[in-house]
Amino acid sequence: MTDVRIAVDIGGTFTDGVAVHVETNQIWVAKSLTTPDDPGEAVSTVVASLVGEMRAEVGDGAVSEVVHGTTLVTNALIERKGAPTAAIFTKGMRDILEIRRELRYDLYDLHFTLPDPLVARNMRFELDERMAADGTQIRPVDPAELEGLLDHIDASGAQVVAIGFLNAHANDAHERAVADFITARRPGLSVSSSAAVAPELREYERCTTVTANAYVKPLVYSYLNALERRLDDQAITAPLRIMLSSGGFTTSKLAAETPIQLLESGPAGGVLSALNAALTHDFQNILAFDMGGTTAKACVVTDGEPGIARSFEAGRVHRFKRGSGLPLLITSIDLIEIGAGGGSLAAMSALGTLSVGPASAGSVPGPACYGRGGIQATVTDADFWLGYLDGSSFLGGTMPLDRTAAETAIGSLADALGMSVDEAAFGIHDVVNENMASATRIHIAEKGYDPRDFTLVATGGAGPVHAVAIARKLGMPRVLCAPAAGAGSCLGFLAAPARIDKALVQTDELKAVPWTQIRAALDAMGEEAREELVSAGACAADLIFEVDVEMQYVGQGNSVSVKIPLDDVRAAYSGALFALFEEHYARLYGRSVPHGRPQVVAWRMIGREPIRHQRFLREADATHHGRAATRRLYDCERGAFVEAGVYRRDTLGAGTVLQGPLVIEEAESTFVVPFEATVRVLDDLSILAELF
Amino acid sequence: MTTEMNAATVEILWTRLVSLVDEAATTLVRTSFSHIVREAHDYAVVLLDREARLVAQSTQSIPSFICTLPATARHILAKYPVETMQPGDAYITNDPWMGTGHLPDINIIMPIFRDGEHIGFSASVAHAPDIGGRIRSPGIRELYEEGLRLPPLRLLKAGTPEDAVFTILEANVRVSEQVMGDLYAQLSANEMLGRRLVELIDGTGLDFNAFGADIQRRSEQAMAAAIRAIPEGVYSHRVEVDGFGEPVVVNCTLEVRDGRLSVDYSGSSEQVDRAINVVPTYTYAYSCYALKCILSPSVPNNEGSFRAISVSAPDGSILNPRFPAPVGARAMTGHLLPPAIMGALAKVIPDRVQAAPGSPLWSCHITGRHAGKPFAFLFFLNGGQGATAAKDGYPAVSFPSNLGNTPIEVLEAQAPVRVIERSLRDGSGGAGSFRGGDGQTTELKILADSPVTVSFMANRLEIPAAGLNGGEPGAPGAVLLNGTPFDPREISVIHPGDVLTLKTPGGGGFGPVPN
Repeated sequence: MTDVRIAVDIGGTFTDGVAVHVETNQIWVAKSLTTPDDPGEAVSTVVASLVGEMRAEVGDGAVSEVVHGTTLVTNALIERKGAPTAAIFTKGMRDILEIRRELRYDLYDLHFTLPDPLVARNMRFELDERMAADGTQIRPVDPAELEGLLDHIDASGAQVVAIGFLNAHANDAHERAVADFITARRPGLSVSSSAAVAPELREYERCTTVTANAYVKPLVYSYLNALERRLDDQAITAPLRIMLSSGGFTTSKLAAETPIQLLESGPAGGVLSALNAALTHDFQNILAFDMGGTTAKACVVTDGEPGIARSFEAGRVHRFKRGSGLPLLITSIDLIEIGAGGGSLAAMSALGTLSVGPASAGSVPGPACYGRGGIQATVTDADFWLGYLDGSSFLGGTMPLDRTAAETAIGSLADALGMSVDEAAFGIHDVVNENMASATRIHIAEKGYDPRDFTLVATGGAGPVHAVAIARKLGMPRVLCAPAAGAGSCLGFLAAPARIDKALVQTDELKAVPWTQIRAALDAMGEEAREELVSAGACAADLIFEVDVEMQYVGQGNSVSVKIPLDDVRAAYSGALFALFEEHYARLYGRSVPHGRPQVVAWRMIGREPIRHQRFLREADATHHGRAATRRLYDCERGAFVEAGVYRRDTLGAGTVLQGPLVIEEAESTFVVPFEATVRVLDDLSILAELF
Repeated sequence: MTTEMNAATVEILWTRLVSLVDEAATTLVRTSFSHIVREAHDYAVVLLDREARLVAQSTQSIPSFICTLPATARHILAKYPVETMQPGDAYITNDPWMGTGHLPDINIIMPIFRDGEHIGFSASVAHAPDIGGRIRSPGIRELYEEGLRLPPLRLLKAGTPEDAVFTILEANVRVSEQVMGDLYAQLSANEMLGRRLVELIDGTGLDFNAFGADIQRRSEQAMAAAIRAIPEGVYSHRVEVDGFGEPVVVNCTLEVRDGRLSVDYSGSSEQVDRAINVVPTYTYAYSCYALKCILSPSVPNNEGSFRAISVSAPDGSILNPRFPAPVGARAMTGHLLPPAIMGALAKVIPDRVQAAPGSPLWSCHITGRHAGKPFAFLFFLNGGQGATAAKDGYPAVSFPSNLGNTPIEVLEAQAPVRVIERSLRDGSGGAGSFRGGDGQTTELKILADSPVTVSFMANRLEIPAAGLNGGEPGAPGAVLLNGTPFDPREISVIHPGDVLTLKTPGGGGFGPVPN
């Protein structure tokens, strides 16, 4: 039987789809404009188009799986288009959503704006119940009080109720009892409880997370139902898998319970795609670098595993300001924003220097060279002027670039700064690269690594344009650019494993860990995860169960994660765990702490399949090795324009070796090598530039 | 080299320098035991040129450290001239007058050499987990009660620890493992910064001192241009808070002339024999902080940024006290400087200032024994934000410091207390065209099995935060023990089962109340 897997990613502009033949690894690609009012429509279009294309080779009814990622949750939070939500808190605590942490995210801005809580004060209710910090019950739930509360909730017009009780991470019996009570009395009302969504210490963050989950739950539920119906209509009976921010996928049923975990699925897919390409060539330490028109992001991957963050900020008021959004305690691939992309505006700063970003021309009016009314120079204008982008073949020739408009925009900045147009154009390019390199350098330092040990993997429309120059600034020895296929996140979805994250948040000094109790709790979580993973299509025999043990010295606030197999969670392993922690700590911080007392603050169980590393093959006319043309390109090491080779990517066969400076063009992007370096085309048609 | 640099190269090298300092700061924060360093960014790492002038400061530092480390370095150089320094040396002091205004802030300076030539200094300051002495309280009467004072001393000699300094420090603090751990964290940050600077120079050929002078000049010009945008003149404002008997008065007079701005605090209270005195470096730092918020938030901190600003206060006043005045609760007075400066400018640039917030910062420190073990816990609370000409103030926001609350669940896990309520005080923000932010109520019950010692920073129980330009004042705060008003200024002993209620003040309103 022929098997095909399909991935569909809804992005801001396009909905992308990729189908892969499981035996031959051949892929098919489809694309449609995103349909914001009814996102499922574009998904249907893309799936229908893929099925049509494949039919000749694989016949009907062969789809074994559909993996899906969507920006639905992100958009609902940014645009505040969720359901009317009520919330129930412990007595005396309904204002914690508004008191927040009392911090300002910008020390010097007197006029800062904070995001409003997702649940307004008149929709926030209190219940006189209480658990102690150690999970002991202090005051039980009174059913009569709860009954009265239901009337208020009815009157509030809420479609969904969030429950966030103090110390629920230690004992969620009250949250469960209240959820059951509401479900029994009001079957039409959707319910979400904080410990079920994020069993983590810190009430403001946990309660914000549960309100966000509740807020998007009705929307995601009806969306996923409609999508399943649509797939049915197309005679696709394969199960629908949903991508999570963690870089794993789950069943649509579980996704509908905790939709907040879908938040960053698209970017996570991008990282997995970069990683998948890197693993093909056995590069284990990579910097996944993605740059588009309005954003640039980076993720550090070490030993083949993407960094994982345990919290994420959604709906920031200021994109680049930490603390200006809603803190959500979800497991997500650790991507940082390092810039505003090709649309970043260049200007003379108050200090008389040439500064770039964070303000952006966005997609409207966009860079000056788009000819849509932009007059201020952007990074894209500079890239165009320097010969890194071609005016006639930009976006596959669909958008001719205006050279005069670019010159005028860069020229007026150049005049103000007393520079030539060439100098200013290279200045813009170089400053934005330095900004991105600096942000990356600090991010890598925070993780205790050296950039020189990494391979940069470039994705996105502008990523390959800037990747080589950034890698040189960071001292990274090589840059890999996988065949883009025009659907980056989808390839990542297809390489993603099924994955479940669960947490046991409990603090014990290492010498006093109640091993039997911890192990029993983790085993129970493991069993639950096993069932969920199998229902998500994983093979039970292949499953991996690991525990991220979060540790710190008593008295510290930051913890360090040490990964061990679930089977090693036992008293006899305590000494080895101590050694692992000290080794890890010393790598991060240069030394361990003499006489420090280590403690465990959380046990985070991860159940997953092995990473589905996969080669993707695309039919290509890869027979010519010659250059298509030459053009003037700015060599950033000579500091002058040179005549450089221009190659068309789809004509470069495996084994081709080229010398920079050069550019390699394809429909979605341009790979730029702005100085002397060796460039090889690898057997899967990835391009590798060797810099050092 | 500087003269040949174009505007892009300057930007790139400037970004690199700030990024070096931030990278060193990352090392300091992540290894620190002090939760106030980690969570409240109560630290700074800076790069100084060979004359000890500030070239770059870490991005996240709190206001109290603006421009203090260059002054500290000069005090150290007065005792240990640069000619006597060698690579691998490190120097330490926590003297309030030479450092940042109170003893817990430990300052460390290291010279940076390249090929045997002295090119600059790396410097750091961080709030230590403990510095000995009594627990912090405004009621303290002499500096000697506040802990161990280290005059400028050599800490490392060519990389070798000076045992006497380490031993004395270790013997005089409560949680010595953590204090010594943080000391090493600072040393790592300083060393890393020096190493990274040398690498940058090796890689780029940068003339660090000439470049430093260039960016200082650029910052100076940017600040001067911002000052010129304020109408010239003399502006004054007076702010009061509860004191010990007499109110504490901060009287501020600003003169704007010829692109320069001077701040003088004549007419402010005399120094007091309580721990609310503010040494000149802290007076300077908080004045510069307020002016930077108003004038030029995006100009990076360096020596040039504040050359056009001068700050003075009469000798022997609460803003320029004589040794050995106690200073541990300096924030209770220092936090009044931004509202004083903003009040002075409210008439001429009303849309760039905000009304007085429910500051100074509140804190509550509880120590005792429970179940046979000692415990100590400190947490912060904030009042409402002052309103501006365009917007209501937010409830419960830290200003001018940036110290957040402790989550209730963390508090209850670490101290024998139960929090009964944390809520907004409806209507406590001052009325006006725009309302001040509300204060908060935090109520907790002592669960310890024996009496506990409590101390507070809690002010504006009598004198509220004033409104601006016709706005009304916010509501005053209150501290209650079992429902009865309680004096938070002295250290007290309270009992198991007692209930403490802390109600922080509301922020001032802005503009007249609409009819």
